[in-house]
Amino acid sequence: MSEAIRVEGLVKRYGNFAAVDGVSFDVKEGEIFGILGPNGAGKTTTLEIIEGLQSPDQGQVAVLGKDIQRDANWIKARIGVQLQSSAYFGFLTLHEILTLLGSFYPKRVPPNELLEMVGLADRAKSRVNQLSIGQSQRFTVAASLVNSPDLVILDEPTTGLDPQARHNLWELIQAIHARNVTVVLTTHYMEEAELLCQRLAIMDRGRIVAIDSPGELISRIETNYTIKLESTQPLDDNQWNALQGSGNLDRTEYYPHDQSRSDSSYLLRLDKNPEALNQAINCIVGSGISLKHLEIRPATLEDVFLELTGNELRD
Amino acid sequence: MVALTIANLKMMVRNRQTTFWALFFPLVLVVVFGLFDFTATTSSKIAILDGADTPASLLLVESLGELERRGLLQRQDQPASLAEGRQLVASGDLDYLLAIPAEFGKVADSDGLEPQSGPAAGSDERPAPPTLILGGEGEERNQLIIGAVRQGVQQTEKNLAASRSAENQGPENQAGRPAPDIVATERVGVSSATYFEMVLLGLVAMGIMTHGTISIAVRISNYRNLSILKRMLVTPLSIWKFFAAEVTAQLLLAIVQAAVILAVGIFLFGAQINGNVFHMLPAVILGSAVFLNLGFIISAWANTPAAASGMGNVVTLPMMFFAGTFFSTSALPWLLPYAADALPLAPMITALRDIGLRGATAWEVWPQLAWLAGWVAATALVAVRVFRFS
Repeated sequence: MSEAIRVEGLVKRYGNFAAVDGVSFDVKEGEIFGILGPNGAGKTTTLEIIEGLQSPDQGQVAVLGKDIQRDANWIKARIGVQLQSSAYFGFLTLHEILTLLGSFYPKRVPPNELLEMVGLADRAKSRVNQLSIGQSQRFTVAASLVNSPDLVILDEPTTGLDPQARHNLWELIQAIHARNVTVVLTTHYMEEAELLCQRLAIMDRGRIVAIDSPGELISRIETNYTIKLESTQPLDDNQWNALQGSGNLDRTEYYPHDQSRSDSSYLLRLDKNPEALNQAINCIVGSGISLKHLEIRPATLEDVFLELTGNELRD
Repeated sequence: MVALTIANLKMMVRNRQTTFWALFFPLVLVVVFGLFDFTATTSSKIAILDGADTPASLLLVESLGELERRGLLQRQDQPASLAEGRQLVASGDLDYLLAIPAEFGKVADSDGLEPQSGPAAGSDERPAPPTLILGGEGEERNQLIIGAVRQGVQQTEKNLAASRSAENQGPENQAGRPAPDIVATERVGVSSATYFEMVLLGLVAMGIMTHGTISIAVRISNYRNLSILKRMLVTPLSIWKFFAAEVTAQLLLAIVQAAVILAVGIFLFGAQINGNVFHMLPAVILGSAVFLNLGFIISAWANTPAAASGMGNVVTLPMMFFAGTFFSTSALPWLLPYAADALPLAPMITALRDIGLRGATAWEVWPQLAWLAGWVAATALVAVRVFRFS
């Protein structure tokens, strides 16, 4: 058996709205598989069907080789789940919560070992509400490991974390992966998907628009380089047209985290033509644009997403 | 499931809100009602059956006037017969009945002035003394009334003796008869329970109600908000075990709660519990189950824990007042007593009072238990229907 999860033709409707609209994918054993997409893309619904929290309207799902509807309890005993925005009992200590959760499973890991693993050994006697956001997120990951699962499903594990906490969690996920545990995670952070995942499904509006490794996905798209430039004053028509000739110029910013955007910020996406970069730079220099900022970077998943869905990836 | 039950108990004990509703709130009321001396403020209902209707008996009746003026006694209409009066006391419509025999006040003259006065004339035997029939009032109040009647009788005898000695100098009457039984008492039906004891048992039921309903509603809606219910569903734990553990923990706490409230009432404020407290268990458990179900239902309707708490209060506060915790439901107008008695709190209180104050056994209160069981079934049905996990 080489597939941890096999999903075929999955459909889930809420009234007339199809939250998941014909989704198929496989997750291979031992990989970190990411599902990337904006809010409302159907990521969480897909995961909840895999976890047995919701039943599909159509399609088949097998987890660890068993059907999710026939062998739900067998599967539940062998997977670990971290729910989006799930907290834990407020009046128990971390150690007590892990002991309690462990008591539901035939196979369990000692709480101290789990706390050690997520760097919370010294907080064993604390309660959840005494933890920082990063700590409590690490704790929910620890809680998903109480049964020493073969497969761990993490729903947006890093959402809402500061960069430092996010890096800690990435390390944690890689440590879990190093123990031969298959990891499935959802995210809407590009750099996270690029860094962590061996394979990636890009989801939008209930469908999967592409599945591949991050590198393959990036090399598949038309854009090769993106030039970000900011001028001291808005471009005039001549300048605009000149630049447009060498690539795909856009005024709109699609980097939601970028604080530096202004009226005179532009993005120039270059196609795969080997001459494109040269042309564009000559054009910028030749058109007499007074530059405030210039940045040239290779295409990222963000460009992939934009090209595949025509949508910006919003927070 | 045992682990989950223990964890639940831990959480409840550590949760201040739980402790407030479970113990602090009812105990505050116990203290309030324990400190106030209600016998000093409420008036008891008394009727007088004056079989003699002589100046002497009128004097005796007048001797109770002082208590009436202090508002401790309230004169009711004279019943048609002794049997009817006794009936009224037994049913609680009267607290006291003073029966004055026809011979009252004539005996002292029997030395010769009125030879027709009875078979006891001239002998050592006295005719029947006035009888005070006692109903459901407390012992303190009883002693007060008995004392007043005794004084009234003594006063009457003194007056008679004085008038007689003025007429025919017969002081040996007084010396020969120390008068040990100048007032007879008779208890009818209910052993006397104080208002505090009534309220104490009402508070046991009320505490179980408010805690059961409000804290389970808040807990479950909190669990739902935090996705804890969902988190339980992704483990292999059967969800019925999760709820069974909730209910078990809550029932255990209800028993502890009842024990603590009763203990405070008994040992701190001297409440007298006549029945076997273990016979209260079925009523405590069934009542608790009804209120837990109500809590589950509320948690399904409330979107936030705060809303759950508010809705819990909306359900429990009126019930607390209507269903007889503090006031008898029979004091309500029109058909309302029937409605109030149908609420789940009322049979629970009635059962606890019958057991605690009248010494009834658990099987003697079966109608109340059956009614509670009906409530358990009905609320469970609704709870299962409306419950939602997310």
